[in-house]
This record gives sequence, structure tokens and C-alpha cells, in this order.
Amino acid sequence: MPRGMRIRAIVIQGLSILLLCALVELCAGNVFEGMKESLTMALPGLIVMVPPLLDLRGNINGALASRLGTALHTGVIEPKLSMSAELKVNLASSLILSFLASATIGIFSFAASALLGVKTIGVISLVLVAIIAGVISGIILAVLTVAVAVFSYMRGWDPDNVTAPLMATIGDLVTMLCIFLAVLLVG
Amino acid sequence: MTVYRIKQILLESYPVLVLCATVSLAAGFLLDASTAEIRRLPLILMMVPPINGINNNICSILGARLASALHMGTVEPRFKRQRVLSGNIHASWLMSMGVFWFMGAIFFAIAYMSGLGFGSSLMWMFGFFFASMIAIAVTMLCTVVLAFVSFARGLDPDNVVIPVVTSIGDISGVACLLIMVKIIGV
Repeated sequence: MPRGMRIRAIVIQGLSILLLCALVELCAGNVFEGMKESLTMALPGLIVMVPPLLDLRGNINGALASRLGTALHTGVIEPKLSMSAELKVNLASSLILSFLASATIGIFSFAASALLGVKTIGVISLVLVAIIAGVISGIILAVLTVAVAVFSYMRGWDPDNVTAPLMATIGDLVTMLCIFLAVLLVG
Repeated sequence: MTVYRIKQILLESYPVLVLCATVSLAAGFLLDASTAEIRRLPLILMMVPPINGINNNICSILGARLASALHMGTVEPRFKRQRVLSGNIHASWLMSMGVFWFMGAIFFAIAYMSGLGFGSSLMWMFGFFFASMIAIAVTMLCTVVLAFVSFARGLDPDNVVIPVVTSIGDISGVACLLIMVKIIGV
């Protein structure tokens, strides 16, 4: 393919997704802020934990999306929605990472709050909220990530241009809802 | 034997993720202190999510593309004479221009409608544009370096680049906005 064409494809695919995400971000930004405020009001200590949990979610799915993009390009994963061994490894490691890293964040948040004298709920509830929110949102988003990557590849789009940005935007919303759910379950 | 192994992914990702979460945790505390200044300016507060979001998205795309290209061998981890690399950077730069002008125009409209004069609305628009272009240039450079360094060291850039770059992107976005506020002087 000539070089100019490739650049054009990247820009067209990337730009359409980016504009969509930017608009969602702009509109949802205030809603997110509102949700964050009410979350942190609900349970003291959550204020410290929400940003890292959101980041973690984006990072784990971003890495998963990035690996899937590579795997589809190199032919390691076939562009169809069936469970191959490679796909299983990728999904399993994402979920294990969600569990381990969420638990770590729970513990770190408690330690940081204690250190700085921020009032917080017990360490066990904090870790429980982190793990429940992390794992539930992890499962939902991992499935979506695979679907978006495979579908975009099947339609002739480069999953590298589409998956990570789309999942980062959807991810924030899903994770926030899952934190709400976890708070309801634990609190 | 699969190409991907759970153990390898976990060993490469877990330290990076915990590091980024710690940065984010610290940033959360710091942000409370430093945003007192931003909170007085609703327009700037509105700029933070899109500048960080777009910055992270463009560099995630670049990171994912570079990782794929490194794995496929179409890009090698060096800077000189890399046509695919320069094509990718070129494309990312064009995307940033497009999306940031678009957002700048939206902020111009918002500023103008909220009763700021034409001149200062225009100033906010250019301020936003230049702050975001500097932020994205810094983050893009980090993306390329990080992809090359991780690949050269035998790590999978897919596991490393996006998490670290999004942390850097958040910091550079807010920092450039704060500098812009200082320069425009509100």
C-alpha cells in the first residue's frame, strides 16, 4: 500500500473515533464528576481510590486491546469470535491482573489515607470494594474489548486505531457504575 | 504452547500497573491541592477531561500501532530512516491537529456564549490549542521512546507502553493547561 494511503486510513479511522470519544468525554465529564462526588460522599476513603481504579481499568484494557491488535496483525489470533488458546491466555491474564492490582490499590489507598490522616472505612471493606468493582468491570470490559477488536478487524479497520480509545471511554463509565454496585454490595 | 503466556504477561504488567496506580493515587492527593486554582475557572476545569482523554487516546493508538509494527518487524527500535515510524508520527500529529482545533472551536463557542468577549474567547481557544499541542508532543515522544526501549529490552511493548504513557499524558495535559493559565494570566 502506498504510504500516503496508510496515513490517510489512520487519520480517518482514528479521527472519527477520537471525535466521538472527545464529545462523550465533554458531555460525560460533568456526569463523571457528579458521580465521583457522590461516591466520595457515600464512603470516606473512596475519594483516594476512585482515580487509580479508573486508571487501572483503562490500563489493563488498553494493554489487552494493544496485544489483541498485535495478535490479529501477526495472525496469532484469528478474526472470529471463538475461544482459541491464545485468546484464553489473554483474557485470563487480564482478569488475574484486575484482581491482583485492584486488591493492591485497595491496600495502598488505605495506607495512604492512614498516613495522611484522611478518614476512611476499614481496610477490608476498601479492598472488597476495589476487588468487586475491578473484577466485575474487568469481565464486562474484557468481553467488549475482544468484540470491538475482532469486529473492527473483520470490517477491515485496524484494531490498533479503534479499540484502545473506544474502550478507554466506555471503560470509565462501566467502572464507575461497577464501583457504585460494589459500594452497594459492601456498604 | 501458546505465543502468549499468562506468567509473562503478569510479570511484565503487574509492576507497571501498580506503579501507575501509585502515581494516580499521589496525583489524586496533589490535584486536590492544585485544583483550588483551577476550580475558580470553570472553563479550564472543563478542558481537563478532553485534553487528557484525547492525549491518552492518540498516544494509545500510536503505542498500539508501534507495538504491532515492532512485532511484525516493519519498525525497528531506532530513530533514523524509519518510514513506517515517520508515517505513524505524521498520522498522529494530523489527528491531534484535527481533534484539538475541533475542541478549541467548541471551547471558543462555550466561552463566547458564557459572556466572554470575542477577543478573550479567541485567546482561550488558542491557549487551549497550544497547551494541547505541547502536551501531545511531549507524550508522543515518550510513547516512541518507551516502545523502543521496552522492545529492545525484551519486554512486550503492548504490556508496558499504554499504561505508562497514559500516566505521563495526564500529568503533561494538566501541567500544560496550568502553564497556559499562568501565561494568559487570569
